[in-house]
Amino acid sequence: MNLLVNEDRPRALLALENGSTFAGYAAGAEGETFGEVVFNTSMIGYQEIVSDPSYAGQIVTLTYPQVGNYGVNAHDMQSAGLALRGLVVHDMCYTPSNWQSEGSLPDLLRQEGVVAIEGVDTRALTLQIRGGGAMRAAISTTDLDPEHLVERVRQSPSISAHNFVLDVSPTELRVVPAKGQRRFGVVAYDCGMKRGIVDGLAANGCEVTIVPWDTPAQKALEADPDGVFFSNGPGDPEQVKATAQAAQEILGKKPVFGICLGNQMLTVAAGGSIEKLPYGHHGGNEPVMNLLTGKVEITAQNHNFGTVFSSLGQLVPELSGGQTQHHDDLRFWSQRHIAPVVQNERYGRIRLTHVNLNDGTPEGIQFLDIPAFSVQYHPEAKPGPNDSKYLFRAFTRLMEGREDYLAIDVREGRRF
Amino acid sequence: MPKRTDIHKILVIGSGPIVIGQACEFDYSGTQACRALRKEGYEVVLVNSNPATIMTDPETADRTYVEPITVDAVTKIIDRERPDALLPNMGGQTALNCAVALGKAGVLQKYGIEVIGCDLDSINRGEDRELFAKAMNEIGLKVAEAGIAHTLDEAREVAHRIGLPVVIRPSFTLGGAGGGMAYTEEDLDRIASEGLDLSPETEVLVEKSLEGWKEYEMEVMRDSAGNGIVICSIENLDPMGVHTGDSITVAPAQTLNDMEYQRLRDYSLAILEKVGVATGGSNVQFAVNPKDGEVIVIEMNPRVSRSSALASKATGFPIAKEAALLAVGYTLDEITNDITQATPACFEPSIDYTVVKIPRFAFEKFKGASDRLTTRMKSVGEVMAIGHTLEEALQKAMRSLEKGHLGLGADGHDEFDEEHFDELVSTPTPERILYVAEALRRGYGVDRVHQMTNIDPWFLNRIADIVRAERHIHELGLAGLTPERMLAAKQLGFSDAQIAYLTGQDEAVVRALREVLGVRPVVKTVDTCAGEFESRTSYHYVTYERGGATEFHEAKKPRVIILSAGPNRIGQGIEFDYCCVHAAYALEAEGFETVMVNCNPETVSTDYDTSDRLYFEPLTFEDVMNIVEVEKPVGVIVTLGGQTPINLAHRLKEAGVPIMGTQPEAIDLAEDRERFSELLDKLDIAYPPSSTAETLDDAKRVARRIGYPLLVRPSYVLGGRGMAIVYDDDDLKTYMAEATQVSPDHPVYLDSFLEDAIELDVDALCDDHECYVGAVLEHIEECGIHSGDSACCFPPFSLSDSIVARIREITRKLALNCHIKGLLNVQYAVKDEQVFVIELNPRASRTVPFSSKATTVPLAKYAALIMAGHKISEFNLPAEDRELGYYACKEAVMPWSRFPGTDTTLGPEMKSTGEVMGIATTFPKAYAKTRDAINYSIPMSGTVFISVCDRDKRNIAPVALALVNDGYKICATRGTAKTLRAAGIECEHINMVDEPHPNILDAIADGKICFIINTPHGSRSRGDGYRIRTAAVEHGVDLVTAMSGATALIQAIAALRATTLKPYALQDLRDLPVKK
Repeated sequence: MNLLVNEDRPRALLALENGSTFAGYAAGAEGETFGEVVFNTSMIGYQEIVSDPSYAGQIVTLTYPQVGNYGVNAHDMQSAGLALRGLVVHDMCYTPSNWQSEGSLPDLLRQEGVVAIEGVDTRALTLQIRGGGAMRAAISTTDLDPEHLVERVRQSPSISAHNFVLDVSPTELRVVPAKGQRRFGVVAYDCGMKRGIVDGLAANGCEVTIVPWDTPAQKALEADPDGVFFSNGPGDPEQVKATAQAAQEILGKKPVFGICLGNQMLTVAAGGSIEKLPYGHHGGNEPVMNLLTGKVEITAQNHNFGTVFSSLGQLVPELSGGQTQHHDDLRFWSQRHIAPVVQNERYGRIRLTHVNLNDGTPEGIQFLDIPAFSVQYHPEAKPGPNDSKYLFRAFTRLMEGREDYLAIDVREGRRF
Repeated sequence: MPKRTDIHKILVIGSGPIVIGQACEFDYSGTQACRALRKEGYEVVLVNSNPATIMTDPETADRTYVEPITVDAVTKIIDRERPDALLPNMGGQTALNCAVALGKAGVLQKYGIEVIGCDLDSINRGEDRELFAKAMNEIGLKVAEAGIAHTLDEAREVAHRIGLPVVIRPSFTLGGAGGGMAYTEEDLDRIASEGLDLSPETEVLVEKSLEGWKEYEMEVMRDSAGNGIVICSIENLDPMGVHTGDSITVAPAQTLNDMEYQRLRDYSLAILEKVGVATGGSNVQFAVNPKDGEVIVIEMNPRVSRSSALASKATGFPIAKEAALLAVGYTLDEITNDITQATPACFEPSIDYTVVKIPRFAFEKFKGASDRLTTRMKSVGEVMAIGHTLEEALQKAMRSLEKGHLGLGADGHDEFDEEHFDELVSTPTPERILYVAEALRRGYGVDRVHQMTNIDPWFLNRIADIVRAERHIHELGLAGLTPERMLAAKQLGFSDAQIAYLTGQDEAVVRALREVLGVRPVVKTVDTCAGEFESRTSYHYVTYERGGATEFHEAKKPRVIILSAGPNRIGQGIEFDYCCVHAAYALEAEGFETVMVNCNPETVSTDYDTSDRLYFEPLTFEDVMNIVEVEKPVGVIVTLGGQTPINLAHRLKEAGVPIMGTQPEAIDLAEDRERFSELLDKLDIAYPPSSTAETLDDAKRVARRIGYPLLVRPSYVLGGRGMAIVYDDDDLKTYMAEATQVSPDHPVYLDSFLEDAIELDVDALCDDHECYVGAVLEHIEECGIHSGDSACCFPPFSLSDSIVARIREITRKLALNCHIKGLLNVQYAVKDEQVFVIELNPRASRTVPFSSKATTVPLAKYAALIMAGHKISEFNLPAEDRELGYYACKEAVMPWSRFPGTDTTLGPEMKSTGEVMGIATTFPKAYAKTRDAINYSIPMSGTVFISVCDRDKRNIAPVALALVNDGYKICATRGTAKTLRAAGIECEHINMVDEPHPNILDAIADGKICFIINTPHGSRSRGDGYRIRTAAVEHGVDLVTAMSGATALIQAIAALRATTLKPYALQDLRDLPVKK
């Protein structure tokens, strides 16, 4: 809201680790918050973004300048509460309009105690994050001294210093019934799972038993599920050792599917390494090629960390178009429509199935000798395009034992 | 898949003349397509009858045919050029229709031509409403309940089944021409019969009205691998019921949540697939029920469109260029994003700003036509503005319109019809947005205004915020505007001039204060990705942000700013954009960093490829100065963009901005009648006696002195707005009353009107040492018809060499004495072998593109080079008096059918929207081509109706005789019949409008008349002639309203009967043999 429309709002200050500060006005709860600042380029879907538990520990900047236009509703919440540390927008809407709207975004933020700032040149901020990487930051409505706040930001802990999964994972087991006929029983490791994922599994006939992030493998397998799912989640995957350990034990025993942090858990389980991307992928327009179909899907993404494909093993040339050398930029493979395969020490052959066409990072892998696959992006979208929804069906096909479970056209995801 | 190597030569069809519903957006798309294809190594053959386009420049395609877009003409071109493939989806509906017709005629099959980019079946499925509805139902989508009707009875039947109100849309017409909303039985009968007449297939769709629903557009692309992406979503501020071309629209969609948006995305991609769009861009339109989100598919266009041009400019994603590449086999992931040059085109642009488009109307030109906006498009142009909030973009767009608004009202120019105030809030008209703002100002409240307008409350709340801030600024006064508040005002898009008005200060004072407060604009970049990746392209807009982070970057080369022409309107269109684009090309080659400023999304000038830097900004003093201060150019070009930049020249110069080329002083000299007359006197050049008057009495005195008829006009207007010819005191009285309204502060000019004189347009170059007369164009219509509405011919076909030489001499004298550096245009009248100067324009004229093509000398390019310091002597130009082997004709295209009720007589006020060109070895053949190109197929037999005024009775006999000799039957009204019979010409008498039935109106309605020659009686255009002309327009009967036009038409008919018309490529013109 513009100053000339309402002058009666508390001031707020955003300070970055690199010394930059942005003055503005409070657009949510008052107070102070510290976290890692990232930007999300989705033009629509702010409610799903702020309620995404993967943003725990982060201050989210929305690049689209007018936010809150269509209000918020209970149905679109991706979790019960808001886990993000703070929100930065250019202009906040206090008078939303939409038939589904049940309240305004600033009210939701206030109710949930999320500190937010508006009046910020979010494009300038975005360019700084692009240039300097995701960095520590703070929003304060109490400490408006730029130098002081910057100093405090520099003393705040890094996002990798804490296991944020602890904060967003449930402590109790919970069962979500399948929509329609129950065809599969799936155990889902909830490291901060978005509601869209549970809905996606349930819609495909899965009864989902949601378990805490640190549930031992043995316990997860007790009820003899048809498959095990590893969810998205916040923070540095290094911190999420218990889940990775469980994954390592479950792989090969049951069909496994992982999304986002789940993809990283499978990587770690396979002995692969994880890297932190400069400023991550946060948005709803990332092009990903499914190397098995050659089709491009426009995907929703929200991650700062990702798999290093070459760390999973040596290339198997006969399954990799004769290539023997790894390439850092995986667009080498998408340009040739080849899905390369590596020989992994623990689980046998692993195939690269999805590549991000913007920067050539890995977006999905498939274990060829055991029933498991995972993707780095979000097939449930929420917010974002429905192109990748087919992956939930792929999981059911995997549980059915089909070899070609991943070769599904993106159009399937968009069926209505 | 990589590009195809089995095709080599591709035929691209353009969209023909600018008409309402199909404007220069197709020049933009066609130009992009031609360039992209040539860059890939294909040979491109282009056909387009519109000479004002960059597309038809001989450099854009390998072979350029400025020929009618008809099956006949295109077949001849195909026969000569033998292309392998046809790309029909770049030239709007015209090109698609032509492609379909070529297919039906078997031409494509005969010559083995493959249609690329779309297939003919898919065009049919997209366009044919019944097939489309069926296809939608098959994929589970709803279309509005509707029925097809081929007769009026069928239309009534459908309407009764669905229930009124209903929307009636004729099939296969442009921009919804002929459609409308029927609330009553009478409406139904009127609109349905009109629609049946207009539809080439005599078919209308009668559809349930969705008035009040929200309206959205999705710009979608698809490649041969089946990858689909949404480039841009667009939300109409005006709810359903107003044609999207006439709506204020906003990108991206503002009031949809993610579920709703993704649903439209899924639907759009499925619709493309179902309709069968193999590759390329399409536009899908939806209606969304604001109460429950129910979605109804309105229509889809399987081609690039006005909306895709807007989407390209709004996002930076070049849809047409990519569509061309997809058509030759590439897939989206194989094409690189132009802007980032690092990421693929296979993604969905994310934008971090708001875009507002507002249409530009010209109802003032069409008296008698209703300005209510309906499903029939009536706007003649549009502007786009970029801001960081809707509020900012909306206000910027309002001031881009050049309608005198400095923002969304609050500028001292607000005037409201108090008597009909509420009605004007609820009725969509061009002014409605101002009434909405005023209603909120008057405390109606958002709820009530929403009830009245159905505009989504979100938009109304934003407007309410502007209004609230407005009041706040007014209360605070200038002294109360702290830096923070000043910044806040600028962030809401308030112009300095608005703030000045609200605080009772001067614009200059506000600007100065703003400087002192340190509130300066920042430059931001359109980068397709909301900052996620680095942009390699300098496509900018200007906004206000706390912190002042600007993305302006230095360059080694000196910078030149080119001010382009703003929105298309009647009198100022694509021709000026053409000139600016040429300047950009020429100066870039000269080593300058070119900076284009414009706010018209339809144009080639606003393609980020055209100049080194593009600023999508309004062309007001403040907005231009913002750019000047940042870019610090070595020069600003103001003489190529028509009246828009000319109007700024003075203030810019006063502000110390270096003006390149002709200086503002010369502009003043030419526009100041008195000083200009003095100059003409000094140079011993004749001009029609003239004078000025401010009151009716003054004017009457002038009339006594000079004598009737008089050509009268207000000063400082373009396109002849408010111009008229008056024949007596009564006329003069009416005129003066109106003129003082149009331009109250300026006097009225009264010129002796040279009746029956020949008018000429001259386009020339001058470097202040030498003048080169590029083209002398002879008008076909006599003096008194606006040069923009007049057909003309190069070289002159009826004037002696000595007269033409004299005209060149006078032009030279004028140019050198006015110190022109660049282009100038002089209009002459020749009567009794005497040459009179009518006016001089020290700038590029509307005819420059035509002149350049007709003479094969690119005048605008040389003008830019002159401004950069070059001399004409360096250019090695062809001799002015060289002999040519061809004639080139230009004919104006009139928008009558869009404005039922308006008079169709040509006069001194310009009314045409576009033009076509015809080239042939004789004048009649060239003229015949122009008629053909406008779709006025010349009937080769039938009955011609003739009714001429007394003035023309003497000259009508030879015309009628020629018609009879060619086998036409003649029918005439009593007076004309008498004249014809006296000349021994057989003719049938027909009753006049007010005489008993059957009369002429019945004959027209019954299709018994094949064309009409009707010249208006004196100045009184209302009455019988008016009703005949209106009927002719309604029933699509060709009509000539001037004797000179009739003569040219007869010659054209004779030429058509004698020979067939051969196509000529522009590239071959210089080699055509000269006939001795």
